[in-house]
Amino acid sequence: MSGVAKSSRDDAQVFSQGEVVADTYEIRALLGAGGMGEVYEAHDRQLNRRVAIKVVRNNVAADYLLREGRALAAIHHAGVVTVHTMGRHRGIAFLVLERVQGISLDRLIEERRKHSERFAVGEAIELLVAVADALTIVHRAGLTHRDVKPANVMLAPGGRVVLMDFGLVLPHADRAGHRTVAGSLDYMAPEALTGELAEGAAHLVDVYGLGVLAFELLAGIRPFDSAEESTDVYRMKMSSPPPAVASRRSDVPDRLSTLIGQMMAADPNERPQTAEAALWQLRSIRDRRGSAATNKPFTVLVVDDDPDMRTALALYVRAAAPGADIETIGDGRQAIRSVRRRVPDLLLVDLDLPDINGVEVCMLVRGMQLGDACMIVSVSGRATRADVELLTQLGVRSIQKGPSVMNELVQLVQQMRPRS
Amino acid sequence: MADGQEWDIDSLLAAARIDFAVRLPLRIEEIELLATGEKWAEARREIHKLRGSAATYGFEDIGSTAVFLEDLLLAADGAPSPDARLRFDEALRDARAQADRAAQEGL
Repeated sequence: MSGVAKSSRDDAQVFSQGEVVADTYEIRALLGAGGMGEVYEAHDRQLNRRVAIKVVRNNVAADYLLREGRALAAIHHAGVVTVHTMGRHRGIAFLVLERVQGISLDRLIEERRKHSERFAVGEAIELLVAVADALTIVHRAGLTHRDVKPANVMLAPGGRVVLMDFGLVLPHADRAGHRTVAGSLDYMAPEALTGELAEGAAHLVDVYGLGVLAFELLAGIRPFDSAEESTDVYRMKMSSPPPAVASRRSDVPDRLSTLIGQMMAADPNERPQTAEAALWQLRSIRDRRGSAATNKPFTVLVVDDDPDMRTALALYVRAAAPGADIETIGDGRQAIRSVRRRVPDLLLVDLDLPDINGVEVCMLVRGMQLGDACMIVSVSGRATRADVELLTQLGVRSIQKGPSVMNELVQLVQQMRPRS
Repeated sequence: MADGQEWDIDSLLAAARIDFAVRLPLRIEEIELLATGEKWAEARREIHKLRGSAATYGFEDIGSTAVFLEDLLLAADGAPSPDARLRFDEALRDARAQADRAAQEGL
């Protein structure tokens, strides 16, 4: 549920746990609540699946719900939450949505902040490409999201990045709606703060939101401080040029820093004129980094608490890739820190590690949304069938410790080397 | 390599295997000490490591003995029963003999 549009919250839940909505959806838990309404997890008794049910508290908000439902119904894309149906129960309008499991980007940013860890540049670019891709689809459907922010981006299993909460969505053509001030202060474009959107330029508030999100991902902080009153934030956004991400961290390519600055331009005419334009630039930056990487050595991270295994694995890699840059590490936490610092082409990880186990390491690395930038291989002496199944789902290859490790590893590295 | 030499990987692998073999008795001794001190969690961890690396370096007899030892400790889930302890000690003696043989061959 979205920021400025919130009103005071009524603590009583609209639906109660166990209640069956419209003879079909059994309410299981409250997932979240805001000023405008609530989102529940429910079980669809007909189709035997989990769903999310969104309800609103009043008729004005019901209009938003209808708008959200219709907007989502117009879009079919992995990066946008799917709507199943709409209905009424006890006179209350509700929207049935796909239940997206995962972690929201704002929580992930907060986790990293707590541990003084940053998103790797490659990881941030992959996330931005995914969000820009989803926004492109939304804009092509003639809609403006109006609340692009990390809290509305879910990271789901399988590397899926999903744009959520279309509660403030508006058709580009809705002139009256665009005069309503709505969104979340930190991520709102200056023109959205005043409700003065130029005709045909409403979607540029989403480009601005994407820019702020990008800045936060890379810098770890937001560019403007919303502790101020909204008028002060507006003044800041209008009078100060957006800070450059590259000034916060030296590993951000200048092109990316410039693009993020352009997306956050106070004048909408100075931003990339569509989400798609931003998307193509992001892809180009990603691809250029990829081709620059082809001149870099093949990088390998070996994680095993047994020094003898580390030696053996490093030698096997060396046998197939003599010039490989190999780092060896004895525990999982250090491995995660290392991957965040530099994403290896190949990560070899033991499952039985003393602090966080290898399966968790694989899950955390997959959660970094590195795409195919990092091949993960578990090398274990005692993987259970459940471990192997989970690892397979995570796209992790498994090798059993033993005399065949060398051959398997040499073959694998030789297959991978053309990439490096 | 930085100095332009080709990696003689076979020699390096052979050297690593010998290095592993000559240190095997020390690894068994460490497990014996942990077992004597009834530090079963640490003992299991060391046995687990030995299981993986021995099999990988091609010492499959020690690897198999380590599998037996680890399974025994996993089943005990802590201190083994007196009967299990007897079997544990017996297997550890086997491992010691296998390690000594491997070290001799290595030297």
